[in-house]
Amino acid sequence: MGELDGRVAVISGGTRGIGRAIGEAFLRDGASVVINGRDPAKGARAIEEIDAGDRAHFVQGDSSVREDCDRLIDETVAKYGRIDILVNNAGGSNDNAPVAQLTDEAMDNALKLNLWSTFWCSRRALGHMIPQQWGRIINISSLEGKVGKPGLAIYVTSKHAVNGLTKAMAHEVGTLGITVNALCPGAIETDMMKAEGGKAAESMGMKYEDLLEWFASESSIKRLNEVEDVALVASLLASEAGAGITGSLISIDGGSAPY
Amino acid sequence: MGKLEGKVAAITGGTRSIGRGMADAFLAEGAKVVVNGRDPEKGAAAVAEMGGPDRVAFFAGDASKQATVEGLVDFTVDHFGQLDIMCLNSGGVINTAPVFMMTDEEWNLEIDWNLNHVFWGMRKALQHMMPRDTGRILVTSSVEGKAGKAGLPGYNTTKHAVNGLVKAASKEVGTTGITINSLLPGLIETDIVRATGPDSAVAMGLESYQAMLDLFTKESAIKKCNTVEQVAAVAVMLASDAARNITGCMFPIDGGTLPY
Repeated sequence: MGELDGRVAVISGGTRGIGRAIGEAFLRDGASVVINGRDPAKGARAIEEIDAGDRAHFVQGDSSVREDCDRLIDETVAKYGRIDILVNNAGGSNDNAPVAQLTDEAMDNALKLNLWSTFWCSRRALGHMIPQQWGRIINISSLEGKVGKPGLAIYVTSKHAVNGLTKAMAHEVGTLGITVNALCPGAIETDMMKAEGGKAAESMGMKYEDLLEWFASESSIKRLNEVEDVALVASLLASEAGAGITGSLISIDGGSAPY
Repeated sequence: MGKLEGKVAAITGGTRSIGRGMADAFLAEGAKVVVNGRDPEKGAAAVAEMGGPDRVAFFAGDASKQATVEGLVDFTVDHFGQLDIMCLNSGGVINTAPVFMMTDEEWNLEIDWNLNHVFWGMRKALQHMMPRDTGRILVTSSVEGKAGKAGLPGYNTTKHAVNGLVKAASKEVGTTGITINSLLPGLIETDIVRATGPDSAVAMGLESYQAMLDLFTKESAIKKCNTVEQVAAVAVMLASDAARNITGCMFPIDGGTLPY
């Protein structure tokens, strides 16, 4: 018997990186899991690699588009009949720049991908969680949702906003059997970090290796975090024992955030 | 395979309430456990309830005394051969009062019980863990380690202080295999809260014990108290090998009470 037997989880993004690790952890705990992403080929490959039979399903969609977020929730319910756990995991930022040079488009895109997607998916999922009086919303925020680094204003701003949304939602549904939390990981060298980190570093006036070194040096462990660290805490929050933890911004950062 | 197979844990104040919940959860995950408490009779009963002496031992003593806390570490290493998980869990208040009425006796007791006990136990545990390059130290702090309440000045002060200690010490050993974290539970209606709660409510200027419970739950999002099992589940997670990259964390288990 797994801790999440019979539960249905949906993870925005989720074909790789943190979302993928959380999906695999939930599958090990017995849940059915829907993952999502823009590229159907990557989705099909992820489902094949996960190899969980009918308990894993891919829904194509762009998390920065409202219709796709709504459809992700709707197709999850259509496929498995319910939704218990929502992981708002899709996120990131492109075209980072210092504020003086920042474009409207870069800010808008970052807010769509990190904040609006969390809002859209949560609103739609709460429509199912509130009547069933059980739910877990887990927002993948960041260390940068608590602190700020130069050159990453769009990311820092949108992750801080996600943390605010987390707190407000937690209080709205606190007596309804639904918890809402944010996980705040330190830097992790995911595929996305490898792909986008170079440009982010450039915006911060440094090389990619220097960016990773900066994050590691701020921590107590003097190394980066790993996707499994985040999946470990996500599993706990999704479990019954997670019922007493809500509105929390949980640091998974090797001792980086000051609070 | 349990998540804590082959591990040995020591828990200050582990015969009942949060510490007992941790002990039960650690045992269920395969660890051996030494629990501590003042009363040998309660200790013997707890050991029997937890399945007997093969995997559980009791170490008698007052956790506000240096000899007890340091003795617990030595006893654990002697008895089970090692110490992997140190839970500095004991704590509380006896005769709390607003600052202008606080006695030196109560203040010193709370400093010894809630703060010095954690320092003594952490230092001694680290001396054992550092040569082995592995270990987990869990400090039972409180939601009051970040917030403040009228009538609980000693408790607020000492629980804030242990959070500072956790942050500093976790940085000292960050590149070793040792993690140090704080657990920050909201109010749990444990035996000790039932015993001391009525007097604490008076010190806090409240009409009744129930009014104190209501004050805490009203601040939360879930509008109810937390449970021992919720804290124990987080303790198991942080004690596991998988949590090697989580340190210096003030882990809230407070139903949405704290603003940060």
